[in-house]
Amino acid sequence: MKLRDVTIRAGRSLKQAKARTLLTSLAIGVGAFTITLSLAAGVGGRAYTDEIVNANTNVKELSVTKSPPKSQQGPQKYTGNASGVSGGLFSGELLDQADIDKILKLDGVVSVSPNYNPQVKYVTRSDQDKYVATISTFSPSVTLKFAAGSVNGDLASNEIILTEEYVKALGFSSSQDAIGKTVNIVADKLSSPVTAPENNTFVYTVKGVSSKSGLAFRAQSSLLISNSSAKTLYDYINLGTRSYGNYIVASVETTSASQAQKVKDTLTGMGYLAQTAADVLGVINTFINVLQGVLLGFGALAVLTSVFGIINTQYISVLERTQQIGLMKALGMRRRDVGRLFKLEAAWIGLLGGSIGTGLAVILGTIANPIISKALDIGNISLIVFTPMNIAVVIVGLVIVSVSSGILPARKAAKLNPIEALRTE
Amino acid sequence: MIEVKKISKTYGKGDNAFRVLDNINFTVPDGASVAILGKSGSGKSTLMHVMSGLDKPDSGEIIIDGKNILQLNQKDIDKFRSTKMSFIFQSFFVQAKENCYDNVSLPLEIADVAPSRRKSKIETALKAVDLLDKIKSRAKDLSGGQKQRLAVARAIVNSPQVLFADEPTGNLDSVTGGKVEDLLFDYNKKNNVTLIVVTHDAELADRCDMQIHIKDGKIDSIREMKK
Ligand SMILES: Nc1ncnc2c1ncn2[C@@H]1O[C@H](COP(=O)(O)OP(=O)(O)O)[C@@H](O)[C@H]1O
Ligand SMILES: [Mg+2]
Repeated sequence: MKLRDVTIRAGRSLKQAKARTLLTSLAIGVGAFTITLSLAAGVGGRAYTDEIVNANTNVKELSVTKSPPKSQQGPQKYTGNASGVSGGLFSGELLDQADIDKILKLDGVVSVSPNYNPQVKYVTRSDQDKYVATISTFSPSVTLKFAAGSVNGDLASNEIILTEEYVKALGFSSSQDAIGKTVNIVADKLSSPVTAPENNTFVYTVKGVSSKSGLAFRAQSSLLISNSSAKTLYDYINLGTRSYGNYIVASVETTSASQAQKVKDTLTGMGYLAQTAADVLGVINTFINVLQGVLLGFGALAVLTSVFGIINTQYISVLERTQQIGLMKALGMRRRDVGRLFKLEAAWIGLLGGSIGTGLAVILGTIANPIISKALDIGNISLIVFTPMNIAVVIVGLVIVSVSSGILPARKAAKLNPIEALRTE
Repeated sequence: MIEVKKISKTYGKGDNAFRVLDNINFTVPDGASVAILGKSGSGKSTLMHVMSGLDKPDSGEIIIDGKNILQLNQKDIDKFRSTKMSFIFQSFFVQAKENCYDNVSLPLEIADVAPSRRKSKIETALKAVDLLDKIKSRAKDLSGGQKQRLAVARAIVNSPQVLFADEPTGNLDSVTGGKVEDLLFDYNKKNNVTLIVVTHDAELADRCDMQIHIKDGKIDSIREMKK
């Protein structure tokens, strides 16, 4: 018997038992649904983090800290240059000018700039309230979404980028209104005596207003100033304290992404902790992969359950159709073809279930995508991305699983003795 | 020509041994019609199964066209059945949920007849049993007599050399049964196809060229009918 004829007969048998076929398929459909969605979420999630990391980091850049001290039980040995800067927040060793000079001399290093995080008192402007603020360094390689204004290249030394929230708080009528106006940042000189505190007001012109974007995670709440402005502020605040000239993190710019990897290896050998953009991506992706793995596990469990469903259904089908099988064998149908008939029925069930499951997943994912993106406030980025390849793999995989489940019942059908099957009482 | 030589078959072992067929010998010429008669349980169906290669005897030979079919391998015996033999059963065994066309198509599919050549064969067979107008009807919507005619169409569609019928009219009233009988004997005469009918219907047996009476697994008598 030709494969084509066996396939048509298999499909026809299933059509004749519609309810049973559909229910068995639905069991596989649940697995197909879960697996398709988890694959799509993995693809979407990785693409999203990829975009975030690319938008927020420069592939040629490394961020460098000193290796944290090896954790040990009990009191630690005093080394002379442990930090006490940020209280309990950071208790590793700090980078100083000697470290920076050393790193600068390495092959492929273009520049080393310490990250200044000046701890200012407040931000304000005339006739307005005072607000606490975090100041960060503007980096041209980081993508920002502007509500008003824009920056070409780097910021000038007296320029600042506000966030939309501060625009409102500081009494501007709109983001556009803030552009070109000035704000004041007041900082304490930490080394001044408690009895005669000293502070200074730094004036900045608003160059731009950043708005929330699905891709920008660093600059969403910080006010941004140029690296040199940050250094001025930092130096004013810390001059005369032990933190002066010591930095937690430094950005190292190299000539290329591959050079960044080489410099990283060298720095690691020298006792520094260096992270490239790829490392950051790797960490986030590991997290996504674990999550995806858990989802896939649920899907696999559903598929496993449906395997028993198929075996059961097909066994019942063989029993019900004993006479039909007997007749076909009496008419000279070969054992191989009888077996194929039942395996192909299982294949049809797998194809149907796989199609229903992946179809529902695609429909649901397509509907859910904008809702999820809105809820997470990530703009029009899709977190669930279906690829034709993944869908094909799921369906083909489930057809194979179904056929394998159909092997035992098919063997029973093939072995059936036609005389027994055709005996009438 | 079918030669049945020294066929014996036993069920069970030792004290429980039960001899269904005991040294059966006869020869059927090509195109003959043969009735196998006997009481229920005498071994008629078993003999028919052995003659068609569905069942294996303990000893003996079944020689069709000079070949001992009991020595063929499974693949060849399947091929032999799909191309040269066909069956009609007491309980019809038509596929209730399939339409008449698909029912009759089955032997052609099994025998690997090309799809393009099937339609005309199926229509010819259905026409021969007067069911052409039911070609799209499902078998379960047919009456008993129509079902058995459908089974006849299925049996003749691939132009077999030998037609085996196991009590073909056993489940039918005399009028519809008579119609099925007419079909079988017509086909036997017109196409010179060997017809082997298991029956306990004496009237049916009287229409055959040859009667083989079986009693407790042995041949009781063989009668050639003169016409
Ligand atoms: N598988 C079997 N095991 C034991 N006895 C069997 C088996 N098949 C058939 N028989 C016995 O063989 C005898 C002949 O059966 P069968 O050929 O069907 O008789 P008939 O068709 O003449 O009524 C019966 O007594 C039946 O009970
Ligand atoms: Mg019988």
